[in-house]
Amino acid sequence: MLLEVTLSGVTLGGMYALVAMGLTLQYGVARIMNLSYGELLIAAAFAALWFYSGLALSPLLGLLVVPPLAFALSYAIYRILLQPLVRRAKTRDALEVDSILATFGLLFVIQGVMLAAFGGAYYSYSFLSIPLHIAGATVAANRLLALVLAVVIGLGLYLALTRTRLGTAVRAVAVDPVAAQLVAIDVRTASALAFALGGALVAAAGVLVSMFLTFNANLGVVFTLKALVVVIMGGVGNLLGALIAGLVLGLVENYVAVFVDPGLTLAATYAIFLLVLLVRPQGLLGRSSR
Amino acid sequence: MLEVAHLSVQYGRHRAVDDVGLKVGAGEIVVVLGANGAGKSSVLKAVAGLQRPGTGTRVTLGARELVGLPAHAIVEAGLALVPEGRGIFGELTVRENLLLGAFARRARADEDRNRARVLALFPRLAERLEQTARTMSGGEQQMVAIGRALMSAPEFLLLDEPSLGLSPLLCGELFRALKRIRDDGISVLLVEQNAKRSLAIADRGYLIENGRVVGEGRAADLARDPAVQRAYLGGARQG
Repeated sequence: MLLEVTLSGVTLGGMYALVAMGLTLQYGVARIMNLSYGELLIAAAFAALWFYSGLALSPLLGLLVVPPLAFALSYAIYRILLQPLVRRAKTRDALEVDSILATFGLLFVIQGVMLAAFGGAYYSYSFLSIPLHIAGATVAANRLLALVLAVVIGLGLYLALTRTRLGTAVRAVAVDPVAAQLVAIDVRTASALAFALGGALVAAAGVLVSMFLTFNANLGVVFTLKALVVVIMGGVGNLLGALIAGLVLGLVENYVAVFVDPGLTLAATYAIFLLVLLVRPQGLLGRSSR
Repeated sequence: MLEVAHLSVQYGRHRAVDDVGLKVGAGEIVVVLGANGAGKSSVLKAVAGLQRPGTGTRVTLGARELVGLPAHAIVEAGLALVPEGRGIFGELTVRENLLLGAFARRARADEDRNRARVLALFPRLAERLEQTARTMSGGEQQMVAIGRALMSAPEFLLLDEPSLGLSPLLCGELFRALKRIRDDGISVLLVEQNAKRSLAIADRGYLIENGRVVGEGRAADLARDPAVQRAYLGGARQG
């Protein structure tokens, strides 16, 4: 029982971690606080659903197609909608306020389109819902697959950001955008790419989530909030922190839901969030200064 | 040849730099001397593309006009700035700082050779490649900043008060390193308050007051000039 709950908690935590890593890229590098972030996750989930039930194609194929589309869409959103805000913002705080307002509007646009297309009903599809027996525990194959894919994507991104020159350049923009220009990094382009990459990540998470969770057109904001909580808990801009915080949150939510009361899940989420903020306001792996 | 003409910088109503002209020839060390707030930093920022200069400003590197280019393109053109306060990536390691120094396309071909040169120039960095830059001492951070700038294979190296906050011992080390950089074929333009040390290694110098050039000449002549001695070399202010 404990193992089962743990495995399913880790799966959920893996999703949170992936979503938080994407938001870290958008907020930490491109400096955009994107409130429409979770909507892209739900849009990707609907796309995967359409792939599966409409076109009879595997969601795994969706995983190859949907994130690149989300990358292109996010890139366009950044260049058209957000770059003018970046250009006119005098300070980082001003950009934050502007981007919150703009993406708040975007949230309703994307949500409205999805509501018009799918209504408010809950959707799910049955893909690989085969029970697997691991060390006495029973896990659905789709959950396990989602977890494995999340680990692969998250690890791949982490290595790309820490082991390559381009990835290091992306982190450098997050650390100091002025100094980044002095080593010939085109900060505007790097920001657009980071924003787009964040969009691709959350879309990948959306496809994975759709494999084992029911979802509806209103659920985006839940994921945006979870991503925010995880990013702040892990330490803003810290990829490893987002990973750990995401796993912790997924585990705690599942433990509370199963062993205490499902109604207290959200309360538990914000209880740990508050606890972390009280004890380490800078986040689990964040730095205290700045 | 780096040539700056009619450079002006305006912050709101305040004119920080007014009609400044200066030249740095190939293989030269040129120092710009001036008190705090004289406009020295603004000159370097405008040249490096971090600060938009006023109309009429001309900055040419060889035959290339630099005014209007974004800062990252100016690095590609062959000009590297070590900014005031060093501007290193504090969260990243020394190795990563140097890796990013060679982010410019112009730097890729000679990257290994340049890294070897930087590590020979600052052996301390070779011992501390995996250290997070912000945990290093001020002198070491200055080495990272200069090393990172050299990794971009510049023709011209610009430094904004590199000796600020360094002990006299480290200062000596720094200025010796600048001389070696010049001897390696990279021209150096630095702004400084430490007149004595910088004039000792420089070929030529400019004096800036209230955003205007008020004097220029060979470094040796400037060091002997009574007016310069009074303003920049006098009394207990200089070590």
